[in-house]
Amino acid sequence: MMETVLTAIVFAPGLIFLGLALCWLLGWVPPERLIARLTCGVFSLMVAATAWLVAMMASLGESSVRVSMGEWFRAGSYYFPLAILADELSLPMMVLTTVLAGIVGGFSVRYLHREPGFFRFFLLLHLFVFGALMLFAAGSYDLLLFGWELVGVSSVLLIAFFDERPEPVRNAIRVFATYRIADLGLLVAIFVLHHDGTTLFAGMFPGDWPEQSMRLSSGGGMLAGFLLLMAASGKSAQGPFSGWLPRAMEGPTPSSSIFYGAISIHAGAFLLLRSEPIISSSPAVSMATIGLGLATAFLGTAANRVASDAKTSIAYAAMAQVGVIFIEIGLGYPQLALLHLLGHAVVRTLQLLRAPSTLHDFHRLHAAGGGALMKTGEHYELLPVRMRLWLYRFGLQQGFYDAWLDRLVIQPVMRLSRFLT
Amino acid sequence: MMPIDSLSLISIASYLILWVVTAISMPRQSLNFRGRVSIGCLLAGTLVAYSAATPPVFLLGWTLTVLPYLRDWSAKGNGSRIALLASLVLVATGNAPLALWLGNSGTMLAVLALVLATLLRMGIFPFHFWVLDAFESTSLPTLSLLLNSHLGAYLLIRFVIPLHPTMAVSAAPALSILAMFTSVFMAVAALAEKRPRRLLGLLCISQSAFILAGLANQTVQGITGALVQWWVVAFAMTGMVTVYVALEARHSGVHAPNGFLGLGSHAPRLAVFFAVCGLALVGLPGTLGFVAEDLLFHGALSAHPWLGLALPLATALNAITVLRLFAVLFLGRRAIHTVPIPDAQPRETLALAVVVVLLVSGGLMPGILIDLRTPSANALAGFLSGR
Repeated sequence: MMETVLTAIVFAPGLIFLGLALCWLLGWVPPERLIARLTCGVFSLMVAATAWLVAMMASLGESSVRVSMGEWFRAGSYYFPLAILADELSLPMMVLTTVLAGIVGGFSVRYLHREPGFFRFFLLLHLFVFGALMLFAAGSYDLLLFGWELVGVSSVLLIAFFDERPEPVRNAIRVFATYRIADLGLLVAIFVLHHDGTTLFAGMFPGDWPEQSMRLSSGGGMLAGFLLLMAASGKSAQGPFSGWLPRAMEGPTPSSSIFYGAISIHAGAFLLLRSEPIISSSPAVSMATIGLGLATAFLGTAANRVASDAKTSIAYAAMAQVGVIFIEIGLGYPQLALLHLLGHAVVRTLQLLRAPSTLHDFHRLHAAGGGALMKTGEHYELLPVRMRLWLYRFGLQQGFYDAWLDRLVIQPVMRLSRFLT
Repeated sequence: MMPIDSLSLISIASYLILWVVTAISMPRQSLNFRGRVSIGCLLAGTLVAYSAATPPVFLLGWTLTVLPYLRDWSAKGNGSRIALLASLVLVATGNAPLALWLGNSGTMLAVLALVLATLLRMGIFPFHFWVLDAFESTSLPTLSLLLNSHLGAYLLIRFVIPLHPTMAVSAAPALSILAMFTSVFMAVAALAEKRPRRLLGLLCISQSAFILAGLANQTVQGITGALVQWWVVAFAMTGMVTVYVALEARHSGVHAPNGFLGLGSHAPRLAVFFAVCGLALVGLPGTLGFVAEDLLFHGALSAHPWLGLALPLATALNAITVLRLFAVLFLGRRAIHTVPIPDAQPRETLALAVVVVLLVSGGLMPGILIDLRTPSANALAGFLSGR
């Protein structure tokens, strides 16, 4: 029974997506009211089913539920395993996804009322939730890649939601390019893991999360660890891949909140948590994870303080917190990182959903405090003026990452491309 | 009697679907007498080539497919005519009795001629120029039918590898590297390209090169991936070309767009069909492209751990190109004074729906399609491993 419910939770949004797409293909666009009821109804059922699953697992003392659906396809010795898994790591993420998707879905019904892209938004929201649940409940790296790519594509299509302006479209292309380059890490890591045996988590990491061991060679493990870190950095806007996050804020506020405040931004951290035995077995990978998190946390906190709009400011703050989560993972505290992740996702979703009303909220708070809100940032006056100015420029230029990336990667590649054409 | 095995039968069936999809979605002004003769020749030639049991019959089929391009030398696009004529001469050389009479060196000459014909037909570097030339200057539906028959790859699978396995094994590493280089070369070149027709051409060459890369890497998963990629390129490129041709017939600015055209607001159906086909071409999960590329990457990385990285890299770059092309054609705001263009006509919707259903259903249930390709893949892997 638990296996059936788990499968239903994961596949329900995918079926809704296919059904809505088929309706559209046949020439019928469902009215707003129907889409709203369908979305709220399905997400409510999913929340109830996930809660039931948690309760059943707790009452039976089960630490995990695994569903094996055999092989999706096979060619020679290579096969694509179809297995889904609900354990102490994936279940909290599934609960988070279904609850926040339900809240954001309900919020969007009003927020996007009579918007021309209303149907498109909900279609992509269902695709995104399907991808996210597939990512979190995947029982193997192969299936995780499936969900990972769906999350990427649906988020890019929603960044370009307001396509009547050129900037969202240009930013969507830039975000997509960053995703695709970073995803090379995951693709090659999966090949390395296949080469070392299986990509099924049950086969690779015996035991229950987070007390798992690893059945990989140390060389293969370290290489896979670095590649997974590259992929995680891309999805979670860390280190050299951080430039896409402020660009992604061009999308509608509800999608920004669930994608870049809650689910998508934490997908990289989830990947590292899932691969925790690989990370912890290699000091080099652990150190790189800590270094990357530290650098991004510093950048995020500096850029957050000089950002000129509410959504971008929250995005940088989220980036900084995800950097701290990376540090926790690198230091070997996966449970703390998971707890931090869950709390952070909820807070950022609320902040982003309230972002259009920031000034209103601030004025109310100001009035409630009798017009005397505490000043912030006074401690910066302890620093020398030159350092303050440098920090200001550092934050304003987003750590110069984009400038370096443009100069060292994008411009040479485009010059080569122009030469070849 | 010509024996029809599973390889021929599957190739014939998939080509018939492509042909019907192209024929019903072609703009009516392209379906004049000349257009009908061209697509008729392509159908007849391809079916003869697919069902050929002997090289001379295959040569007859190959000749029929290039006939529509061997006329009107005064018009633009002579590069494609020269290349296709050269490929015809090469296939004829590979079949010439003189080659067999010369013994070992003659056989080597014949294999070399057939391999060169394959490279020419597929537009593998340095023979890519004619495909780009043809994409710019000829009828796209006809060109799509010519390229998506993948007769170059079929020549390798049906005759070169089974008849000359030792030489095929010797040539495989070089072919594999050449194909991977082509895929990256075209993908990088596409990044700065702005003309949609050339972009389609670059995407077509780059993704078709995966087929050769998979066939030449000698692993079962790589060969199976190549045979699945055959379908992916054929159906996805046909879908993209169909949408692009429909747009060209409706809007004069499509040929050389200046900024974002914003046609998606008037033609949302065409936009969605283009997006699904484009993303399937570069391996969107849930489509057949994801399956093909999963198999191809594993095959390529197993055969060439470092050089094999070329395929994922090329796919990543091609994905950026697909999104850029989609954005240029369909996103953005249309100028207020422009006349609205009609969305997909019923016949176009039907044709594109068939393509999308095949790509998506194949992606959701790939086992059935892979099982169809497994006997051929095992046989080819057997030839290449000397079994």
